[in-house]
Amino acid sequence: MSLASELFKDRRVVLYVAAVALAIIFIGFFGLKFGLDLEGGSYLQLQLQGAVAQVDVSPEEILKVQFNATAVEKHADSYVVTVAGQVPATLPDDLGYSGAKMVERENTTKVTIVASPETVITNYLKKSLDADVKIVGVAPVQYEIRTNVTRDSLNLLLAPVGGRVPQGQDAFVEGVTPDTVDETKKVLDSKLNRLGLQDIKVRIVGNKFNLIDLAGMDVATAQDVVGKPGKFEIRIQTEDNQSVHVLYGDAVESVDIPRGDRNGGWGVPFVLSEEGAKIFQKAAMDAGAIKNPDAHPISMYLDKDEIFSAPLAAELAGSLEKAPVRNMEARVGAGDAGSQKAKELYIHLREGALPVNVQVVGSGQVSAALGKQFKIQMVIAGIIALLAVAFMIFYRYREPRIVLPMVTTSFSEVVMMLGIWALAGWRLDLASLAGIITVIDTGVDQLVIITDELMRGGEAASSTAERSIKERAAAAAEKAGLKVAPASSKVYLSRLSRAFSIILGAAATTAVAMLPLLYMGFGALTGFALIIILGVILGVAIARPAYGRIIGYILAES
Amino acid sequence: MELDDIVSKYPPRQIMLIPIAIIAIALISLGVTYLGTGSPVHLGIEFTGGTLVTVPATESEDAVAAEFAGYPLSDIRNVGSRYMLQFGPMSDSDYAQLAKQINSKYDNAEIRYMGPIYSQELQAQAIKYLPISFLLMAIVVFLVFREPIVSLLVVISALADILIAAASMNLTGVQLSLGTVAALLMLIGYSVDTDILLSMRVLKRKGIVEEKIIGAMGTGFTMTGTTIAAVFSLIVVSNFLYLIIPSFTRMDVIADMSTVLIFGLAADVFNTWITNAQGLRWYMNRPKKAARGQRR
Repeated sequence: MSLASELFKDRRVVLYVAAVALAIIFIGFFGLKFGLDLEGGSYLQLQLQGAVAQVDVSPEEILKVQFNATAVEKHADSYVVTVAGQVPATLPDDLGYSGAKMVERENTTKVTIVASPETVITNYLKKSLDADVKIVGVAPVQYEIRTNVTRDSLNLLLAPVGGRVPQGQDAFVEGVTPDTVDETKKVLDSKLNRLGLQDIKVRIVGNKFNLIDLAGMDVATAQDVVGKPGKFEIRIQTEDNQSVHVLYGDAVESVDIPRGDRNGGWGVPFVLSEEGAKIFQKAAMDAGAIKNPDAHPISMYLDKDEIFSAPLAAELAGSLEKAPVRNMEARVGAGDAGSQKAKELYIHLREGALPVNVQVVGSGQVSAALGKQFKIQMVIAGIIALLAVAFMIFYRYREPRIVLPMVTTSFSEVVMMLGIWALAGWRLDLASLAGIITVIDTGVDQLVIITDELMRGGEAASSTAERSIKERAAAAAEKAGLKVAPASSKVYLSRLSRAFSIILGAAATTAVAMLPLLYMGFGALTGFALIIILGVILGVAIARPAYGRIIGYILAES
Repeated sequence: MELDDIVSKYPPRQIMLIPIAIIAIALISLGVTYLGTGSPVHLGIEFTGGTLVTVPATESEDAVAAEFAGYPLSDIRNVGSRYMLQFGPMSDSDYAQLAKQINSKYDNAEIRYMGPIYSQELQAQAIKYLPISFLLMAIVVFLVFREPIVSLLVVISALADILIAAASMNLTGVQLSLGTVAALLMLIGYSVDTDILLSMRVLKRKGIVEEKIIGAMGTGFTMTGTTIAAVFSLIVVSNFLYLIIPSFTRMDVIADMSTVLIFGLAADVFNTWITNAQGLRWYMNRPKKAARGQRR
């Protein structure tokens, strides 16, 4: 009976052959993708600067200092600030309290602000840090500060209003919330996609880092692209389908985080510059939007794509009739759909500006030609390594019938790995290729353990005293020409299981030692670690059991 | 074979003095470097921060150095048809300017910028992850053997491998980079393979300890031999191939990795067949133990 037909009855061998065949199909069908360092391109590593902090501060004290007030009273959902003398009309707006009511009487001014204590604190932090601040936690209330602050700098900032960051590790945590990290990623994704760049990958590492890979671009251009804002424009409809330009993005001073109103409607507040507000008012008047808002909707464009279009709200039209308005809100609708739209519009309105301050912590580029050369060099290294390993095995066993299956098995493990990579669409970078060479090597080592265990086990068991009756029967049967498959032999199985107890231990230590590398170095060595870990697992689970069977047959034949 | 004699004839305690002395020398080397630089091994640019540039070598080194005289150029080296330039810390705008200048002058430039935050984060990661990796390995070893002394011997051998590999970095001038950290982590997992083989053979087979050790040696040497062959071919390809084929360049990461690995592997041969094997000899042949090799 032929070796092949005998082997194909074994479950492990069938599984192994199927896995290799499947891997070849995957590679052929999906193809292999290579990393930036082999394809050419550039990468940026951005740190998202920010902190999540609790603060101990009285809102009344803040308002007192901000308005230079003589007294601040808290009412149900508002504060009344009493100031000696006059208050500049724009002050409440500047401090973030649009819609504040001012009553001037007998040399004192009473300003009524509708705001919660948290809003007052948020506004104060925003104003003093010139950055976005978001309330992220309840009980204790936490503020996400989206710029570079330390505990000390925050304390310094709060000192004039008698506040501070409470003691304790939890009160000040560096980094931003996962939501914000994700939002930053979305802004980058949307921005790069709209620029028509292919193959962009923005990855998140921890809560602090965003990694961007830009294929086929040098690093100077990449930094420009990521830093450069999109072209934002506000237009107003004049007649029928005609529209005229009103403002560009430079007139938008700030954009606030989307907020829902009491009726469930969502909107994105934004602030125009003083100059911008005047131009806007004039354009609205000229177009007739103040008299008849519905016929003259305002539209917003980003790089020529319409991102928002709506008529002026009645109350805004009313205000515009009297004076320029700086604080506006783009309303998008109610419910979950509205919330989603508001988030998108927020990203678009801020196009170019990321939600948090970012700092480039690392960057680089590899040219396509150099990448190609590295690829060739690594393939050569791989082939030489495989040959060197094959030579060492041959030197030891002097038996092609052992060397050939060993090298084939080891090589097929590489094929399996590549199959997984093709299927998953993962990219092979330089480090991954080095990992493959390592996989070849660990693989061969373990095959050596199996082979030696089976062979040496044979020597040990040859002393007839130790032979079991079954063994002797098998030997007798063999002599009689009735070949009994060695796989059925108890001794063979016990040797194989002993080999596997060594292999499993060795494989497990290799895999666990690699685990930290998955996370280290901003993902630079993730491919290396992953290919080794998966290689070890696949090898132990699929390739080596099959090899154990195959080599068992071969050793029995010879 | 001489090693056979060492393994079987001399009393374990006497032989154990050699590994102890070597580990002590390694520790001294690491300690001296630590006192001098503040870290046990020399930190590469990834850990100190800076900019690494390679450009095609189309003109003389001096001409290239003059081209970038306006930047904090700290080192320039020929790496086979290319120059490798190393810059110290610089401002963001200088870096942007440098990148533009390089790309307008050279077609196939490679640039890597590692800011202070990047390198600090990397240092923190290395300090955190190397011990975690070691600890995970040790836990697996204890789970595999469930014999405190045997496991401890394996873990000590692995630790000695890492220490010797790290000390050899100081000797050969290889700096700690992402690649060499990866190599050290690999050694942690890799170097225990032969120790596990040895201990399993000694524990689970019948026979005389010394014979089992010598038996395991055959397999172990083949394993380490294939590994050294593979690593050696990596050294050749990454370090020397460009001398033969002029269009090729030195691959620093691979070169550094393979240098550390080769030292680690050499240390592993020593620690497996001397340190670990002698430890096992001593443990298995303890006078009290009547039935040696009869466990489980």
